[in-house]
Amino acid sequence: MFREEVLAISVLYEMLPTLLNFTLAFGAVTAIAAMGGVIAERSGVINIALEGIMRIGAFTSVTAAYFWGYHFSNDPIFFELSPWIGLLAAILGGALVGLLHAYICVTWKGNQIVNGVAINIFSYGGMTYLLMQIFGTAGHSPPVPLAFANRPIVIPWIDPYSFLGKVLWQQTVFTYIALVLPILLYLFLFETTWGLRLRAVGEHPRAADTLGINVFKSRYFAVIVSGVLAGIAGANISLGISNLFTIHVPAGGGFIALAAMIFGKWNPLGALGASFFFAFFRALEVAIAVSFPALLAYIPRGVFLATPYLLTILVLAGFVGRAVPPQAIGQPYEKG
Amino acid sequence: MSMVYLELKGISKSFPGVKANDHISLEIEKGEVLAVVGEKGAGKTTLMNILSGFYQPDEGEIWIDGRLASIHSPSDAIALKIGMVHQHFTLVPVFTVAENIVLGAEPTRFKAVLDFKGAVKKARELSQRFGLNVDPTAVVESIPVGQQQRVEILKTLYRGAETLILDEPTSVLTPQETQELFKTIKMLSSEGKTILFVSHKLKEVLSIADRIAVLRNGKVRGVVKVKETNERELAKLMVGRDVVLEVKKSPPLVGEVLLETKGLKALNSKGLLALKGVSLQLRAGEILGIAGVEGNGQTELVEALTGLRKLEAGEIWIKRNRLKKYNPGEVRQKGLGHIPEDRQKRGLVLPFTVAYNLILGRQTQTPFSRRGWLSFAQIDTSAEERISLFDIRPPRKNVEAKNLSGGNQQKVILARELSFAPPIIIAAQPTRGLDVGATEFVYERLLKARAEGTAILLVSLDLEEIMSLSDRIIVLYEGEIRGELDASQATEEELGLLMLGVKRTDEVKA
Repeated sequence: MFREEVLAISVLYEMLPTLLNFTLAFGAVTAIAAMGGVIAERSGVINIALEGIMRIGAFTSVTAAYFWGYHFSNDPIFFELSPWIGLLAAILGGALVGLLHAYICVTWKGNQIVNGVAINIFSYGGMTYLLMQIFGTAGHSPPVPLAFANRPIVIPWIDPYSFLGKVLWQQTVFTYIALVLPILLYLFLFETTWGLRLRAVGEHPRAADTLGINVFKSRYFAVIVSGVLAGIAGANISLGISNLFTIHVPAGGGFIALAAMIFGKWNPLGALGASFFFAFFRALEVAIAVSFPALLAYIPRGVFLATPYLLTILVLAGFVGRAVPPQAIGQPYEKG
Repeated sequence: MSMVYLELKGISKSFPGVKANDHISLEIEKGEVLAVVGEKGAGKTTLMNILSGFYQPDEGEIWIDGRLASIHSPSDAIALKIGMVHQHFTLVPVFTVAENIVLGAEPTRFKAVLDFKGAVKKARELSQRFGLNVDPTAVVESIPVGQQQRVEILKTLYRGAETLILDEPTSVLTPQETQELFKTIKMLSSEGKTILFVSHKLKEVLSIADRIAVLRNGKVRGVVKVKETNERELAKLMVGRDVVLEVKKSPPLVGEVLLETKGLKALNSKGLLALKGVSLQLRAGEILGIAGVEGNGQTELVEALTGLRKLEAGEIWIKRNRLKKYNPGEVRQKGLGHIPEDRQKRGLVLPFTVAYNLILGRQTQTPFSRRGWLSFAQIDTSAEERISLFDIRPPRKNVEAKNLSGGNQQKVILARELSFAPPIIIAAQPTRGLDVGATEFVYERLLKARAEGTAILLVSLDLEEIMSLSDRIIVLYEGEIRGELDASQATEEELGLLMLGVKRTDEVKA
């Protein structure tokens, strides 16, 4: 028996590039959505609706890619564009829901958590209804003719059999978005004047207001961008990882992104690290379940999946470092 | 002959149910320090918020430097070189001093990239030019309140302010810091800055202002030159009747020790040691004042005594019995009444009626409940009795506490805590934010309780209050007792030095 386990572990090590490949693919979804969380919360608005917006983004992207793809099935150039049209639809869908969230939370000073939960619940029922109306199906849509998953990014000068080649094999555009976006957001938040102002709005909106910074506009901007990013994360699942929409998508992915945001202490780079950290555990779980069920005798199922969130709870409880959210978070701004 | 720089013509502003500003006209000359005084709710803050662009007036005009100004937003006010230092600072605690100063008008490279070095340099230049010493790279939450206020002033100067509005600027300062601030104000006015100094402390405005405008019920009741007025006249203008400024106190009839602490240690909410071994004795019939700059352990001391904060070490003795369980219920049972610092958060349940608030903490006792069921008849009679006894307005028991004015909310708390005649009262900032009338009321009730033999611990940031009410004064500095003084002999300077941690009692006396 013992020998078998050693073998299993050594093979797991052999599998490292594959594990990292999975990690990148899973982590991209979390990272993109987590950026949406970071920007909204840095402006002082909680966006617990990430989950619902991801679902809506996944749906709109599939719908757009589906109809565009079939409409232009005879036109190779336009046909190739169809996943991109899907992505655009996800961006628009996300922006609209973000706008709604901002309208209710900023203009009408509604409770941010309650409205977020409402959007999440609505997304489930709403998308179920639209699935039936548009595709006449329940639970999932028909597959799109062309998804990002069918068009992975190939970098010509990287040997596909090298370590890096294996890690990057079959990665879609989303993986690269997930790697670049946090850096851009970091630079935006901490190196530009707009970022400084946005953070001021999230920490002390009255201070920002007295200096002529428009708190409402800043928050609208942040929450709409947050919606856009959540929409993109949704399209990542439906068009990047699979090629159809399933009603259960993102299956808690929005909350995982919020956990990554907290674990990363509201810092884009921290949240990026946390996203891949979480994804690594998920990849490990899958790899063990698929390749080495024998190991499951020692490691109960779910341990790897649960570990990251246990750590998040510990972070929130202040055991592993301290996570301090922006001070004005969750509070609608009252002028005067 | 100097010229009028800022002119307000017939400014009016109404809020639902109140006319906050009623045709206010004022003229202010360049380089002048004009004090605007008035009670809570007199309309001072509304007027300043109109000048700084937070509110739009319903009527009236503002003229600046001979031109009609339209101020629709804070940015308009900044463009017109009006700078406001708010009573509650508008600084981002986690940003550095330099970031706070330049926020909204940052030096940049390539249009949008923040130039941190440039910001620090500009902040340093400004602080040197105006002699407002502060480290531009320090994080704001880590510097003392006095310095934070300098940052606020630097913020306005960075934007080229010619008119500075200071809203109750001394309420958070020690006497020494106040003196520093006054020097700054004099220097700024000599540089030609026009200064509006909003306050309700008459002694202060008499020492800093050139002229004083008195507001009452939204109207200007008089504009007087400092040289031609005195405190009594101002107080009369402010309140509309003669006020007794001196607190009349009977000589203390000090009895036995009712409350004693031995080496109290407690952490603050950040987990740092905030009380470093406080030992004190409180006797029947005396008021013991706890003085100190905000954040030197006063809050923690009050919370430790009332069972709201865990003790790290030390003992609390009430009437020669050592407390075994430190929780609010237990402490109350033993006869300790508490007038909390934050009356809205800890003193009242705001959405509850006055009647319910009057029995909070005693709701499980007879006659207010029996076997878990509330006795409404008893609650109502008792409420009515106390509403008339403590003059709570409106005199209705079913009004929700949140709809009362600050003064009346405090009366509800006083009524609850005092009318059961507890032998010990912990009063934390009992007059914070109250107007003169309500303050008088609180003083009167506390002194009455003292005369009846109650032991009172008074924690306050207002030195004048501490000095006029207390029999003995203890100064807290960084969680330690820095000195104990006899109130009748203490001076403001002496207390100020102790509060700043510069000296200890023995040194001061030597």
